[in-house]
Amino acid sequence: MGDGGGSNRNKPEWLQQYDLIGKIGEGTYGLVFLARIKSSSNRGKSIAIKKFKQSKDGDGVSPTAIREIMLLREITHENVVKLVNVHINHVDMSLYLAFDYAEHDLYEIIRHHRDKVNQSINQYTVKSLLWQLLNGLNYLHSNWIIHRDLKPSNILVMGEGEEHGVVKIADFGLARIYQAPLKPLSENGVVVTIWYRAPELLLGAKHYTSAVDMWAVGCIFAELLTLKPLFQGAEVKATPNPFQLDQLDKIFKVLGHPTLEKWPSLANLPHWQQDTQHIQAHKYDNTSLYSVVHLSPKSPAYDLLSKMLEYDPRKRITAAQALEHEYFKIEPQPGRNAFVPCQPGETFVNYPTRPVDTTTDFEGTTSMQSSQPVSSGAAVSGSMPGSHVSNRSVPRPMNVSGMQRIPHQAMQAYNLTSQAGMGGGMNPGGIPMQRGVPQQQLRRKDQMGMPGYPPPQKSRRI
Amino acid sequence: MAANFWTSSHYKHLLDQEDVDMVNSLDKEKGITLEDFKLIKMHMANYILKLAQQVKVRQRVVATAVTYMRRVYTKKSMTEYDPRLVAPTCLYLASKAEESTVQARLLVFYIKKLYSDEKYRYEIKDILEMEMKILEALNYYLVVYHPYRSLSPLLQDAGLNDLNMTQLTWGLVNDTYKMDLILVHPPHLIALACIYIASVLREKETTAWFEELRVDMNVFYHEMIICILYSTAEKQQDSEAVEINKILAWSVKNISIEILDFYESNRMFTEDRWNAALQKLTLRS
Repeated sequence: MGDGGGSNRNKPEWLQQYDLIGKIGEGTYGLVFLARIKSSSNRGKSIAIKKFKQSKDGDGVSPTAIREIMLLREITHENVVKLVNVHINHVDMSLYLAFDYAEHDLYEIIRHHRDKVNQSINQYTVKSLLWQLLNGLNYLHSNWIIHRDLKPSNILVMGEGEEHGVVKIADFGLARIYQAPLKPLSENGVVVTIWYRAPELLLGAKHYTSAVDMWAVGCIFAELLTLKPLFQGAEVKATPNPFQLDQLDKIFKVLGHPTLEKWPSLANLPHWQQDTQHIQAHKYDNTSLYSVVHLSPKSPAYDLLSKMLEYDPRKRITAAQALEHEYFKIEPQPGRNAFVPCQPGETFVNYPTRPVDTTTDFEGTTSMQSSQPVSSGAAVSGSMPGSHVSNRSVPRPMNVSGMQRIPHQAMQAYNLTSQAGMGGGMNPGGIPMQRGVPQQQLRRKDQMGMPGYPPPQKSRRI
Repeated sequence: MAANFWTSSHYKHLLDQEDVDMVNSLDKEKGITLEDFKLIKMHMANYILKLAQQVKVRQRVVATAVTYMRRVYTKKSMTEYDPRLVAPTCLYLASKAEESTVQARLLVFYIKKLYSDEKYRYEIKDILEMEMKILEALNYYLVVYHPYRSLSPLLQDAGLNDLNMTQLTWGLVNDTYKMDLILVHPPHLIALACIYIASVLREKETTAWFEELRVDMNVFYHEMIICILYSTAEKQQDSEAVEINKILAWSVKNISIEILDFYESNRMFTEDRWNAALQKLTLRS
């Protein structure tokens, strides 16, 4: 809000400690804002404020927000996003989570390399990002927390400052403590964005483990290397919980078919058992992972990657084991600032800052002087929490905005709310744009049509 | 798992009995005594249980809800936070935190079914508003550890895991939520106290097991101490082990006595008594 337009009535007291810079993201759960602290002790420190709307179905604080709060209140780790405050506005019953602001995320970093600088990410950066991601994940897993929705847009990286280049795992809206769950985890509806979804989930596993996060890390590792999602399946949109044949097919094509010898418990997985789509039939024989990721089959990087993409979740490498892998011991060694190597020599890239829509206030209303209505375009992209979805689709709003069509039923809201990461969904446009620029342009739109990069699939639909 | 508890907000915010037994000044003005205060909380724990049985959620949700309710009243007055609204709202919030969400309208429906008294009548809107106030009062700490989890491994270890003992100890643990034990003691010690009482009631010989456990607990506590007081603990490990040994024995015994005292005095907790206590709150409000 700050001094931007919009009404100042009902402005809660806690809000006065921040200067609102603008909106940086939007999702079904609500909006994400960039703000700066006013108080002298932390003056100018950037904060990302995630505003949760009161759910429309009359069921109070969304379970997504509850989950995120309850987990983040318990954990602190250098590689996990820091929840600095929770605020409540009793007047409109909205809830705000204030996080340390991270300027970058892996989604944007990968995209920048692929579309702007057109070169791969240097080895030091890839290794440092991966090591820190694993380090954070190891902490979560040893605290019995499964993230369940790891994807590049949920892996944030700090911008300039004391923590420059430090990875922060974000978006705990789906995360769960997995000791003694009251209900089978799968009852929450399908989780994990389809491209990063582990094969046991795709095959209908009811009880899954922290190994699902490691699969996602493997996919992210490959994407950091090649700048392309490793398994880009087309999502089946049926409800509930459809069988994702294409996604499995993409995986089989690269890794070869799973076999009962290598993965004994495969026999118990519902979709494998039923084999309605003949997934047991052997279409692909050779594994081609190393050629897809352009790695020598003998390299430590390849060895680590293939261990993350192990079919059998019980054999899949754990975060703790991965941290000990030889890949991290050989040069270049990973560092705390993933962007700037300790030894000079490697060139590093300046990543663009997150675009900010400076015309939207904390109520989500757009200021009057806006020359172009925010609503039309932004509403569409805005309804798409994952940045994966928001910008790349060709302008066929309904195609993208599946979420809007979903009726407001309690259970659905329950499963849908959490999409975006703090980092993730918040970047519906991704046009590098100077922060604080007073004009009212909104990003989005000029991103469309990336050749060879079809509109991605929405995940976690019920 | 244990490692988890020792770093949790639950552990860090365990309270002293004196802090739990502080009657808020606003309530004091209305004539609420410490005994009234305890009675009302006990009654509200029962209310939460009854409601939970209607909406069919599991015991862990009930336990979490009761813990929330008790934590709220270490910070807030009953005058401002009507227990008759706080109780169902805690169940509502706990059902979300424990991943078994219950709809607010369902709670409202069963509240009406359970109580004809209009003082219990609250609408969805009231619950939703109170939910936010409770979140605030809890300072957004929502993870609660309960004795149930340690119960069955401990019983098994003691060789007491027959149906009878299991049911008895489980029931005893349920009853501990009528008191404030969960705010004061680590949950596994509450579990041990319940096993201790049950074994005495059933005349099971457990002395040897408790002795042995103490030795195991030594190691366990030792790790914990190192973890918490890392800097100071290192050097005096031996003397500490002895110390911890005593603390454990002392805690379990004391918790057991507290529980037994509660059963003793429970006979006097008639419906009239807590109705009278609640009445005081309503007066002049």
